[in-house]
Amino acid sequence: MKRSHEPVFWSLFGAGGILAALCGVALVFVTGLGAPLGWIVSPRLMEFDTLRAFAGQGFGKLVIFAVIVLFLWHATLRILLLLHDFGLGGGRLTRWIGNGLALLATIFTAYLLLLL
Amino acid sequence: MPDTARSIELEILRYLPESGHEPWYQVYEVPFEDDWSVLQGLQFIKDDLDSTLSFRWSCRMAICGSCGLMIDGVPRLGCRTFLRNYYPRRVRITALQHFPIERDLVIVADDFIDKLKRAKPWLIPKQARALADGEYLQSPAELAHYRQFSTCINCLLCYAACPQYGLDAEFAGPGILALLHRYNADSRDGGREQRMDLGHSDAGFWGCTAVAYCSEVCPKEVDPANAINQNKMGSAIDYLLRFVRPRGSGE
Amino acid sequence: MSARIEPGRTDPRRPWRRSMRGWWHRNPYYLRYLAMEATSILIALYALILLLGLWRLTEGEAAWAAWLAMLKSPVSLALHAILLPVFAFHSYSWFRIMPKTLPAIEWRGKRLKQTTITALGIAAAVAVNLALLLLLAGVQP
Repeated sequence: MKRSHEPVFWSLFGAGGILAALCGVALVFVTGLGAPLGWIVSPRLMEFDTLRAFAGQGFGKLVIFAVIVLFLWHATLRILLLLHDFGLGGGRLTRWIGNGLALLATIFTAYLLLLL
Repeated sequence: MPDTARSIELEILRYLPESGHEPWYQVYEVPFEDDWSVLQGLQFIKDDLDSTLSFRWSCRMAICGSCGLMIDGVPRLGCRTFLRNYYPRRVRITALQHFPIERDLVIVADDFIDKLKRAKPWLIPKQARALADGEYLQSPAELAHYRQFSTCINCLLCYAACPQYGLDAEFAGPGILALLHRYNADSRDGGREQRMDLGHSDAGFWGCTAVAYCSEVCPKEVDPANAINQNKMGSAIDYLLRFVRPRGSGE
Repeated sequence: MSARIEPGRTDPRRPWRRSMRGWWHRNPYYLRYLAMEATSILIALYALILLLGLWRLTEGEAAWAAWLAMLKSPVSLALHAILLPVFAFHSYSWFRIMPKTLPAIEWRGKRLKQTTITALGIAAAVAVNLALLLLLAGVQP
């Protein structure tokens, strides 16, 4: 019987899931409400210079990469699952496209971070 | 003397293959007693109202696993479900979901039986033993490691609950995979390697999407969702290390 | 009742197969499962918003300012206000399912209950989110 390759995607799904579960609410608040409106956190947190400095060094790149990429891989598995569950294409082609898009986004994110 | 006999309506999905008709719902009025199970209601129908009604049953005490039904859309054992919990509403009864209907409330369980063998649900000794070696010794802790998963009565309620089993023709399903885990977790067993051929595939653990309704409906609290999903981490690690690890080194 | 057998067939069995169409609204349990899975769509959306921001960051101050202005728009604020309970529900449903992925854990001679593991997980989620928020609140660039 053919071995499933799902472990790769499931591991990424799990990592993204835990990250979202432990940090998601805070991140959404800070980036989407706090910093833009100046609530609780300083609006200067998301100033151009602040973020360029943060993304310019190793730790900052790692954090940004982890959040974007792991959240996307987490979502990819579940979205593909939803498509399968609703009978909207759970086949191999759909999975290739879905995972392919996630991989492109991963590469793109890494590329952008290497520019900074 | 005023007639105080109470009754309840059972709306049952009938199917008679030789009749050429599609399945249809038929309503029967059965006496309502406080202590009657749905199974007793069905037996009243067959004995007194309509002998053409077919359904499986045996022990009537939730140990044989024969009387699985969809009762108001929920997989339940007929002998363990009581009319008093539905009275005075009409109760809708159909055959277990996700299986073809053979006739009335009887399902075709061939798919389950065929797939069951693949889990190799029997003890495979680590080494050949002679009778003179005596019996296996097992501590209470070793027993506790698999006991919960050994209480499965093959009632197939978990299969009726599992949408992936309904959607995916290849998936082995909760009950079989729980049994697979049960034998892997038994200290007397040495057959893990052979079973993981199924386990590591999409028909095995990776076909499960953690809906976990199977564990909700299980009358024996086997918790098949737990049996399956606790293996995913190990299967994933084994996947990553499979070219590095020598075969048979155990998971 | 005699079995009516079609010409060419010797087997009177004719199993009836039921469709899986609309399976998901047959039971409230399935709807909860779908709600949990559907949070991923909004999690993806949030990640894409961040990715867009990262892209604008590499393009210079003007592009970044435009992205920030978008973040301050009523649409974006409303969206993020919706994302908050969505991510909270994700945390909750994540730790509800997590005990199923773990083998039995023993604590002081007894098996740790699945509801206890869930409660501990949710407590951790609250603690870490709060800690992160306070950490960022203390940052004054």
